[in-house]
Amino acid sequence: MPSSISNSNDITRVVPNHHWFPIALMVLITTTMLTLGWELYWRNQGYEPGLDDNKDLWAQTREKVSKKGTVIIGASRILFGFDLSEYEKRFGKKPLQLATVGTNPTFYLHDIANHTEFAGTLIVGVTPMLWYVPEGMPVETPTKNIEYFNRWSLAQKINHSLDQPLQKIFAFLNSEDLPLKKLMDHKIPNRVGAAIPPRIPPYFMKIDKNRQGQMIEKMETNIEFQNFVRNIWIPLFTPPPPPPQFTPEQFMEMFKGLMAKVRGEVAASVAKIQKRGGKVIFIRYPSSGKVRELENKFGPRPGFYGPLVAEAQPDLSIHFEDYPELSDYELPEWSHLTKKDATEFTQKILAMMKDKGF
Amino acid sequence: MVFNSLTFIFFFAVVLTLYYGIRNWKAQKAILLIASYLFYAAWNPPFVLLLWFSTLVDWYMAKAIEGTPHRGQKRLYLTVSLLSNLGLLAFFKYGSFIIENYKLLMASFGVQVEVVAPDIILPIGISFYTFQTLSYTLDVYRGKLKRSHSLLDFSLYVTFFPQLVAGPIVRAIDFLPQCEKPRFATKDQLCWGLYFMTLGLFQKVVLADTFLAPAADLVFGWSKGPLFTWDAWVGLMAFSGQIFFDFAGYSTCAIGAAMCFGFLLPDNFKFPYAAIGFGDFWRRWHISLSSWLRDYLYISLGGNRVGNFRVFINLLVTMFLGGLWHGASWTFVAWGFFHGILLTIEHILKSVFNGINLTKVRSGRVLIRIITLFFIMLTWVFFRASDFEFAKLMFLSLFGIINNGAMILPTVEIYKVCIVFILLVGAHWYLRESHIEFFMEKLPKSLVILFWSLMLFGIITSQGGGNAFIYFQF
Repeated sequence: MPSSISNSNDITRVVPNHHWFPIALMVLITTTMLTLGWELYWRNQGYEPGLDDNKDLWAQTREKVSKKGTVIIGASRILFGFDLSEYEKRFGKKPLQLATVGTNPTFYLHDIANHTEFAGTLIVGVTPMLWYVPEGMPVETPTKNIEYFNRWSLAQKINHSLDQPLQKIFAFLNSEDLPLKKLMDHKIPNRVGAAIPPRIPPYFMKIDKNRQGQMIEKMETNIEFQNFVRNIWIPLFTPPPPPPQFTPEQFMEMFKGLMAKVRGEVAASVAKIQKRGGKVIFIRYPSSGKVRELENKFGPRPGFYGPLVAEAQPDLSIHFEDYPELSDYELPEWSHLTKKDATEFTQKILAMMKDKGF
Repeated sequence: MVFNSLTFIFFFAVVLTLYYGIRNWKAQKAILLIASYLFYAAWNPPFVLLLWFSTLVDWYMAKAIEGTPHRGQKRLYLTVSLLSNLGLLAFFKYGSFIIENYKLLMASFGVQVEVVAPDIILPIGISFYTFQTLSYTLDVYRGKLKRSHSLLDFSLYVTFFPQLVAGPIVRAIDFLPQCEKPRFATKDQLCWGLYFMTLGLFQKVVLADTFLAPAADLVFGWSKGPLFTWDAWVGLMAFSGQIFFDFAGYSTCAIGAAMCFGFLLPDNFKFPYAAIGFGDFWRRWHISLSSWLRDYLYISLGGNRVGNFRVFINLLVTMFLGGLWHGASWTFVAWGFFHGILLTIEHILKSVFNGINLTKVRSGRVLIRIITLFFIMLTWVFFRASDFEFAKLMFLSLFGIINNGAMILPTVEIYKVCIVFILLVGAHWYLRESHIEFFMEKLPKSLVILFWSLMLFGIITSQGGGNAFIYFQF
């Protein structure tokens, strides 16, 4: 018969008739073995322990934004491609890296302009097509990060401090690729006609506590992996067809309206920072191969980057096409600089900034 | 602090060590009380003041009620408690809602009111602990309970961290006697408590968040027109499963955590998707709230002791307020009202077909279970929909009234949802008359080890990064 514990009233809880202590010990041993096996498996697949680029790490960096200093916003190109240590060597202090993968950075720009007293230097990575994406990951990532930061509780901060040492030990604690949820994605072909967003590339970046991103070695050297990610970029850099209720012309008109609105808002935020004494720099990082072709087709410079800079009036605009020394990089998967190139690219950018009096 | 976080694991281990490291019952209770305040403060420290306010108001009002022989004075003290607790709830939870609706009402008469609804942060768990403290004062007022003579015990009753923010809503009559003598869990009870916590976390982190939430979020977050019928149904199945696993997961964790300290909390769920009828559903779903509403609201309104028409009104009013308890939105009210109508229809059918009991035959029971589940699922549309426009679109999509709906679910999500939902309903049907404890007792030791290990491994590999439980927002 099961043993039971009860109080003087109605609540009774039965403890099933097993020897629970030895069972618990066996469970501990079994789970430890399963977890270690899981860890070894993912290490064999090329995953390394390292910090997770999650909302807590972003919030921790965002919390440091003050009146002065340098802040970087943008998407993955500037996250991988800006060497924070090089900046520190030249200017004495590491900038705060707030760029996040696959992000429309206008949300971060407005956050800095409207919710801080920031009057330092803001470096903005521009991947033109991302700036006008109205939904999906490019919008969700910055929105969720900002929301999370605004309500970042003490419990979450403690959780972050406890989580980081574990991330440095276990490779499987990679929230981008290896949670059970993500591992089940894309395992079964989707229905014909289903409106499923294109898949996101697997992990090919590692990050440190200062949010210095860098390309992993596998991406720099493994051609098969490079081709795999290149094939993922093609649908991601191809805009979806207009919704059936609109003609292409109507849709283009609407999109032009959206772009004008975005540019206006960006200009207002840039002006706000400049009015406080801050400076804003726009940097267009290089792309190559098919990604470049798609960007030129769907987000050409005269229609995207050009009007954006003309309206926003940043203090400095650096487009890689204007500088031969910034254009001759080989990008393994057509979109991001390697670790070594990122350092060199940053040195050149910093030299340009220095020339312009920064 | 959420159960599915490293912070909680660390916190729980420290509190457990301190609790069993001392052999002084008063000091042990003080440790639990301080831990509970820290647990709550970890979200937003100033809101601990609200807990203290609620505790002190009900402590003193109950004392005053018991201390006076005059009925009128008793009623006055009860009114103070009701106004304080419900006022707190009204301000923090319904303040903006009341102002917005007042503006709409005035606008319908052509009067423009320029009041900006304040951006008030909802203190987590406020609906739970205000109902809990109210039940104490109400029971003392009704003479069902002698007031507590220990502020420490009473504070612990209001604040006990395992069930503080999302229930079960515990009655003082069940909890306060447990504070009288030292409580210790045996080794077996401690391990069984840990098993319960694992089961609860598995329900939340793996089943709700990993398997069901993606499909539910995709379908209920869709804003571009109608959905393909199959996608709408899968989304609804996903949410029906998610809300159960999320909330039952919390309650299971709470019961397990309390058990580790030797405290007993009541069951909050009893396989609700095997309910035979809507009344039966409410005896199995969020039992601590439904019994609270029954005892303090429905019966106070007259319950079943009045004529049929009054019973219907009582049911509708109770469920209307039950819906509103869940959130300051008309969609929650509609959800409650829908349940009220279902309960009313059930009541009418029982009166009309008095003597014909379909539940006596197996096929009748199966049929009623299916019908019950079907309608319960439909009510979830109102619960999850962001507004009535979406709820309408969802119903039209569910019944194929609009063609050319979008197929938005990846095939893998459809498989995940169907498998988990079928297993969920199957498990509820199988265990309907049983209890998880008896089921576990029948399992061989090796299977217990396997289940427990796989659940833990599932939690670890899911990497559930501290997603809040759905019921925290209520």
